[in-house]
Amino acid sequence: MSVVFIITRKEVRGALGSSWLIGYTVIFTALALALAYLGERNLGGVGFENFSRTTASLLNLCLLLAPLVALLLGSGAIAGERDRGTLTYLLAQPLDRWELLLGKYIGVSLSIGLATLLGFGLAGIWIAIMTSSMAAGTYLMFVALVLVLVLVMTGIGLVASVLSASRVQALGFALLVWIVAVFFFDLLLVGMVSATSLGGGGLMLALLCNPVEIVRVLAIIHLEPDLQILGPFGSYLLERVGRGGATVILSAALFVWAAVPLALAVYLFETRDP
Amino acid sequence: MSVDAPILRVEHLRKRYGQRAVVDDVSFEIGRGEIVALLGANGAGKTTMLKCLLGITSFEGDASILGRSVKNEGKQARRLIGYVPQLPSMHEEDRCEDALFFAAELKGARRSDVDGALEAVNLLPERRLRVGELSGGMRQRLAMAAALLGEPELLLLDEPTASLDAESRGEFERILARLRDAGKTILLSTHMLDRAEGLVSRAIVLRSGSLGFDGTLAELMERARGRRYVVNLDGQPPAAFFHAMHELGVASEEIAAAPTTWEEIMRAVSTSRGEEL
Repeated sequence: MSVVFIITRKEVRGALGSSWLIGYTVIFTALALALAYLGERNLGGVGFENFSRTTASLLNLCLLLAPLVALLLGSGAIAGERDRGTLTYLLAQPLDRWELLLGKYIGVSLSIGLATLLGFGLAGIWIAIMTSSMAAGTYLMFVALVLVLVLVMTGIGLVASVLSASRVQALGFALLVWIVAVFFFDLLLVGMVSATSLGGGGLMLALLCNPVEIVRVLAIIHLEPDLQILGPFGSYLLERVGRGGATVILSAALFVWAAVPLALAVYLFETRDP
Repeated sequence: MSVDAPILRVEHLRKRYGQRAVVDDVSFEIGRGEIVALLGANGAGKTTMLKCLLGITSFEGDASILGRSVKNEGKQARRLIGYVPQLPSMHEEDRCEDALFFAAELKGARRSDVDGALEAVNLLPERRLRVGELSGGMRQRLAMAAALLGEPELLLLDEPTASLDAESRGEFERILARLRDAGKTILLSTHMLDRAEGLVSRAIVLRSGSLGFDGTLAELMERARGRRYVVNLDGQPPAAFFHAMHELGVASEEIAAAPTTWEEIMRAVSTSRGEEL
């Protein structure tokens, strides 16, 4: 049996008992169902328009909660073991460090993914029952995007976990990343645009610096390429390279965001004394 | 691999933190069936040494288990090691048997070996208890059970009884005695040599990270003996003793070496007096 699988299975079992994940599952599922219900009730309509607005609301909810829980659980993966005094014991077992880290990465991501799928799934069933038509493909694409965002944020959380001396320190770093990515990134960019002479390329690069923003823009241009919802950076990208080009660029950036933090975490974990 | 090949070979091992060497150019070997005490004061480098032997921390020089370098073949080398840390270190929420199933899978041992390991440390009745429900002594025995899974060639024990009460310590030591009788090879880090006296055949002393002594317990006692004597003056003032010394020389029946205690030996190896070792 592969060491990565053994670690992953243990991590999933541990995460299922984690208050963070249980809280996330309950809140996300409740809010997703509420959004689906309210969307159907308030708009009263049927068909894709209603579906898309409800989905957009779900997406915003996901972009708020999924990165938070991924960062929190990711940041605790190694730092938590260090705090509990169990890291040395784990490393004394016949495993390579990358196997331990990869197992934890997959385990944390899988746990959050399952919780997210539960919320999305229940909401999707509700929408399918209440509306006459449902663009299942688009809906699934959103689910996939959120799951990729979970991978990205878990990777960033792991970097914090490997670098931090304690779980509290890792948690602080994770919360800082979340606050900046979810709340302050747009403000920071608007400030930078005002204060500096960021050109079009600069704007695009700035957009690529935030995986949450990438997922948001990528989702919206497939749901409803409304320039107002997209924001200045997404609008610029759409104008310059079109929907297909934007999809390729943003997807590639998301892939890089998923791969680089994980690779960095593995490198740091392999080369630093625990 | 010859029959006499050492289980553990340590060659010029050095571990630095910045400019400070915590373990400094230490070399030794441990043969099959030896039970060796790794002695030294707190901060002498014992735990760091064990972490180096496990390949957990980086170091200069080399260490190998049955020829497998812990630096280059860490995973394979660790498969040959059973490790018991100083403090309980298993996830408290796990049930005892689940903690051992996890260890067994990592070590490539059979899940069916878990019962035998629990039985070896007298924890079979507690198999369904959570680790957090166990006493400190039970947790250390559980760690020993995990260490025994996979039939390791070498057991590395890092002061496993340091935080235990007398009863738990006694029980752990009885397990160690059974392992000794079974011919296990053990490196036991400790600062309580008196407790290890009946178990270990050899002592390695670390002093400020350097190898201060490597030999049998009898040799260690012999070297430590003679530093301190108790003179029975039989009620006479000390001056009378020195006068007698001067006039008569040293008479063996007048001056008797007091039996050296293990505590004194440990103090000797832990302080500047140990420089003479």
